[in-house]
Amino acid sequence: MFDLIILALVVGCFALAIAYAHLCDDLLARPADEDVAP
Amino acid sequence: MTVIGWLQIALFVLIIGLLTRPFGGYLVRVYAGERTVLRPLLGPLEAALYRAAGIEPKTEQSWLGYSVAFLIFHAIGTIALYALLRLQSSLPLNPQHLSEVSPDLALNSAVSFVTNTSWQSYAGETTLSYASQMAGITVQSFLSAASGMAVAIAFIRGFARTRSATIGNFWVDVTRGTLYVLLPVCVVAALFLMTQGVPQTFAPSAEVATLENGLQIIARGPVATQEAIKLLSGDGGGFFNANSAHPFENPTPLANLAEMVLIFVLGAALTNCFGRMVGSERQGWILLGVMAILFGLGVAGIYALEARGNPAVSALQVDAVANAQRPGGNMEGKEVRFGIAGSALFADVATASSDGAVNAMHDSFMPLSGGILLANMMVDEVIVGAPGSGLFGMLLFCVVAVLMAGLMIGRTPEYVGKKIGSSEIKMTILALMSVPAATLGLTAFACVVERGLAGLGNAGPHGYSEILYAYTSAAATNGSAFAGLSTNSAFYNLTLALGMFMGRFLVIIPVLAVAGSLAAQPIIPRSSGTLPTDRALFLGFLLGVIVIVGGLTYLPALALGPIVENLQMWAGALH
Repeated sequence: MFDLIILALVVGCFALAIAYAHLCDDLLARPADEDVAP
Repeated sequence: MTVIGWLQIALFVLIIGLLTRPFGGYLVRVYAGERTVLRPLLGPLEAALYRAAGIEPKTEQSWLGYSVAFLIFHAIGTIALYALLRLQSSLPLNPQHLSEVSPDLALNSAVSFVTNTSWQSYAGETTLSYASQMAGITVQSFLSAASGMAVAIAFIRGFARTRSATIGNFWVDVTRGTLYVLLPVCVVAALFLMTQGVPQTFAPSAEVATLENGLQIIARGPVATQEAIKLLSGDGGGFFNANSAHPFENPTPLANLAEMVLIFVLGAALTNCFGRMVGSERQGWILLGVMAILFGLGVAGIYALEARGNPAVSALQVDAVANAQRPGGNMEGKEVRFGIAGSALFADVATASSDGAVNAMHDSFMPLSGGILLANMMVDEVIVGAPGSGLFGMLLFCVVAVLMAGLMIGRTPEYVGKKIGSSEIKMTILALMSVPAATLGLTAFACVVERGLAGLGNAGPHGYSEILYAYTSAAATNGSAFAGLSTNSAFYNLTLALGMFMGRFLVIIPVLAVAGSLAAQPIIPRSSGTLPTDRALFLGFLLGVIVIVGGLTYLPALALGPIVENLQMWAGALH
């Protein structure tokens, strides 16, 4: 039983980490008015 | 302090200095897939691995693809190691018939080694079978180090590439790091350690009769192979509970020197690798220069404090001055064969580097020495760090430094030809805040709940330092223990696992995001308005940024622990 709970915990944490990566991808979208290159 | 002590420190620094450039050049060739001395031998194996796994080595990934591959790789590793620890009693290579590891301890250990932390809430010789040590701990030591180096290389590619949508292939980088870097060095290192007396055997623990006709059990096992990767990987998890203080892990002063070189060599070489890949080795030397200054200050401070000893002991008319017959100073918790210099140097190397191996008990160091060890870890272990994590930690501080400089002189911040925009700053701050959030948040939590305080071995500021050290070590993925805190409880196993997870993955994801964002940009030609980042001025500025950011974040926490304890010690109160 404990093993199943911990397995779910591990999978859940890594799934959250992947969601965090996607969130960072969204945050990376530059504002339109930002100077990108000289 | 003695001349021979300083010579030991100087010899170590000299060896690292000499190895940095050749290793740096080798790393560049390995990760570029160029011909190296080992390619004829290992190239067919590399190609076979790609074929077996269905990987097309020429196909690269975006930063998001690279991150997801990195996370899936470690999720599988965590589950595999957890399962191995839980099932070890039913598996072969368990001559001591050790039982399975408890669920919370197995989770803590699995996260610990997958995140390259190697925090150990267990004693290896009485908890883990040879199968768990070899197929579990050792394998993850290799893979976590290889993935850390892969992230650093991907980060460098972000600076080095122009208008690129990709930052490399995670599977290829991990394979190359393991095959061409970690494995060959570990084979040589393990053989060398065996010549020094480190055992390598599948035989069970030896049972011997003592002179008093008692029975003594002497643990042994396949130690040399684990020892080599434990040091090279920045992992630090010992085969024995006493880690590198154990004579079977670190038998001689020569082995001690070799172990410290193994801990530092890849982290230092990656600075040169960075310089070469961005087209200016001077950029790499500046980073190494900052690391060297921080390292030098730390080791000088620890050595001086430990050599002076405890004033409360001196007050008892105990002579703390070193001479030919005695080491002097504070020898509590230190091995006589290493002395004060060998212990101070190893402690600074292990905490600066993220390795977490110990050859002396940090709990027994002077209060301010403990504070220096904590500070080494608190600055994100940018002082060489583990293979990969030290470099990308330092590069994050470079981003902050050019932002500060840009604000001062009214220029858009640039670093090695890349503009640092708001997106990169956001990601950098997310990465840099993850470790303090985990460290300070979890420390505060443990200090106010009964289950947290239940593990304390000491009262007062020293007890607080024990808790602070544990979470700092976990979140900084160091893994060394201060000792004095009993952490094999469900509370500590779970909260420390959370700290390690946050300290590794919540840092690396934004790091890769910065890499992807930078890689997509063009490289800006250097102009008269460009802040020169390959000069001593930037070295000093970067040093100041690291100290100020680290100080603002952690000084209050340090004041409550080692600083108060030091003041109390001079007032005659010991904990």
